[in-house]
Amino acid sequence: MQSTHIQASRDAGHRLRFWARDNLFSSRPNTTLTVATIATLGLVAYFLVQQDFFDLDFSVVEVNRRLLFVGRYPQSEEWRLWPPLWFAFILGGFSFGLWARLSRRDVLWLGAAIVFILALLAHGENGGLFGGAAAAAALAYGMGRWVRRDHRSRSRAAKLAALGWAVLIPFTVLIIVAFGGVKPALWGGLMLNVMLATIGIAVGLPLGILLALARASSLPALKGVATAIIEITRGGPLIAWLFIARFVLPEFLPDALNTDVIVNALVIVSLFTGAYVAEIVRGGLQSIPPGQIEAAHAVGLGTVNTTVFIVLPQALRAVIPALVSQIISLWKDTTLFSILNFTDALGGAQAAIAQADFIGRQKEVLLFIALAFWSVAFAMSRLSQRLERALGIGVR
Amino acid sequence: MSVLSQGLQPRSLTPAALWRRRRTRRYLLQAVFLLAVGLVVAYLIAQALDLELDFDFLSGPGGFSISHQWLTDYVATDSRLAAYTTGIVNTIRLVLIGIVLTTVIGVLAGIARLSSNWLLSRLASLYVETIRNTPLLVQITFWYIAVFLELPEIVENRNLFGALYFSNRALALPFVDSDGAFGIWLIFLFVGAVSAWWARARLLRGEEATGRTLHATPVALLLFAVIGAVGFLATGFPLAADVPHTSVTPFGIRTIDGGLQVTPEFAAILVGLVLYTGAFIAEIVRGSIQALPRGQSEAAAAIGLSAYQRMILIILPQALRIMIPPLTNQYLNLTKNSSLAVAIAFPELVFVGTTIINNIGHAVPVFILIFATYLALSLVVSVVMNALNRRVQLVGR
Repeated sequence: MQSTHIQASRDAGHRLRFWARDNLFSSRPNTTLTVATIATLGLVAYFLVQQDFFDLDFSVVEVNRRLLFVGRYPQSEEWRLWPPLWFAFILGGFSFGLWARLSRRDVLWLGAAIVFILALLAHGENGGLFGGAAAAAALAYGMGRWVRRDHRSRSRAAKLAALGWAVLIPFTVLIIVAFGGVKPALWGGLMLNVMLATIGIAVGLPLGILLALARASSLPALKGVATAIIEITRGGPLIAWLFIARFVLPEFLPDALNTDVIVNALVIVSLFTGAYVAEIVRGGLQSIPPGQIEAAHAVGLGTVNTTVFIVLPQALRAVIPALVSQIISLWKDTTLFSILNFTDALGGAQAAIAQADFIGRQKEVLLFIALAFWSVAFAMSRLSQRLERALGIGVR
Repeated sequence: MSVLSQGLQPRSLTPAALWRRRRTRRYLLQAVFLLAVGLVVAYLIAQALDLELDFDFLSGPGGFSISHQWLTDYVATDSRLAAYTTGIVNTIRLVLIGIVLTTVIGVLAGIARLSSNWLLSRLASLYVETIRNTPLLVQITFWYIAVFLELPEIVENRNLFGALYFSNRALALPFVDSDGAFGIWLIFLFVGAVSAWWARARLLRGEEATGRTLHATPVALLLFAVIGAVGFLATGFPLAADVPHTSVTPFGIRTIDGGLQVTPEFAAILVGLVLYTGAFIAEIVRGSIQALPRGQSEAAAAIGLSAYQRMILIILPQALRIMIPPLTNQYLNLTKNSSLAVAIAFPELVFVGTTIINNIGHAVPVFILIFATYLALSLVVSVVMNALNRRVQLVGR
């Protein structure tokens, strides 16, 4: 017993030594690299410690929890946020279980980030609701994994999940806005970023598909107009477009449509996303061999039926990774709304930094915001990688 | 099929037959579509006619000052066009320096990610995965208000080796200072470069003809260095090291003079842009290298090339062919993302443009100007990269 224990630890030591030799000190240049890297890291760490960089105090985030998460959203209407949040958590967990398989390292990183965010967030009355949502998500993840066991239940579950995602956005908007709800002008914090990204993609995706089809069309009028819209939209940076939403669009819209700067900005963001989605989908359309279309015509399908049932499903499937990275990029770009003085997560962060109680606590607030955006974006990119492999894209 | 249907067509078309014809329906559909588009455009133009559309306001005095000047000397009494031009110059400076630095960082990180050195590849992955999945604006804000504005006050006189000063008003790096003879020395350098190029080509041809090693590259470098050194002596040392130093004015205020001075705004936007774009370029570089068949690297190892030679002579030139189109995209992204500098009040073109709008309105012409500028910048980047692409594709094909 004792001897095997010593044996095992000696083996572990051996293994570590061999591993270090193979991966860190395999040759003279390799050893030099390792030593140089460690030296540089040490220097950077020394400098950061000297500058008190690791003297972190996250109480600024705890105090400004509301500001960072919902901005100026009225407290009395907060109950409207919980059903969509629960719905999204459960759906997210289920989809991950169904489609993705996280490596142990991914779980570690993501789990650490989420636990950190929840620890700052889930205090007092919100604690149970957030904890419950997280537990439900974990449960749904397990269910997703379990449902994967055979083909039939798996495809049925996939349909259910797809339906859930399709319903989620209208459901959320309805619950928040309907029956004397909260106007978009009062949305704020991370919630505003989530709403901007989801509405932007929900409108931008169909718009982009239509634009791509028009651009690929053989009708010169459609093709010309679509090309002009796409190229002009992609010509300038998003921030210039957002300034247009504030300075120019109100002059052009009839009064009935001219309610809110944020609605104008949403229209512009959707158009912007649509133009980028269109170029992605166009790539997918071009990857469909002409034989597919000819075969569809040969079995008697018309132009519309060929497009909807033959071309689009294959084209969209081929560009899923690119579409996901477009969604991630939109998610990150929603922070630009802070430049227009909206209290989104970054705008809330800037307001928190300006408070007299927390002078010098910029780092903590910004690191927290960065982490919140990172965990969503990282989870989506991992999901996309797995989906890519599961669908066999690029592997033929 | 079309011949057949033409043959079967009746002479005179009834309305129903006319409707069934594919061509008629295509024309009708397009006519309806164009009518709808035309109505929208007509409405927009009708609304636009009420707005100020002329560009005359550009000749009026700007009335605001611009904090960052480089090759320009705009003052508040100059025209708004001059202010806008200053903004363009600031954008171009940012984009040019940014593209060079981000390429270096991106290529290094991309290669490091594939390194057999565990520590280095982990470090590169950490860099790519954290930076790529975090919003650029958050990063720029972080660099600005949590790093560069948090540097010590100028009175603390913090420096590294007495040559690199850092304060929250400016970073001062050692640089070189040139005098009037610098231009003449540049001619020497040019002559040196041309003759080194010529000598190298000649020696390489000799190597190929005889099979003997003539050390083409070292000889060429030596020739370049000798001609450069002779020129340097002949023109009487046209360059001098310009090390920053601090001084205290009679009023007791400490200032940093000399060297290359970088403001916190410029440093923040540059570091943010370079690191962010670099993470994407690293992924492109990694993907392009992995797309090459393994046999390339193995064959290079088999004929005895070192790891460095394999990378420089065999892998990178081939990977470059795959790399350039997505790289062009990243350079265009960097150009457009430079507009995020408005968030930290670095006066690039969108910042100057919106300042003009805030002062006197005229939003539509200003945005036309901004979009035209970005279009021009994007075209320049695309043209240069496409030329490079053609050149790379031609070599060895």
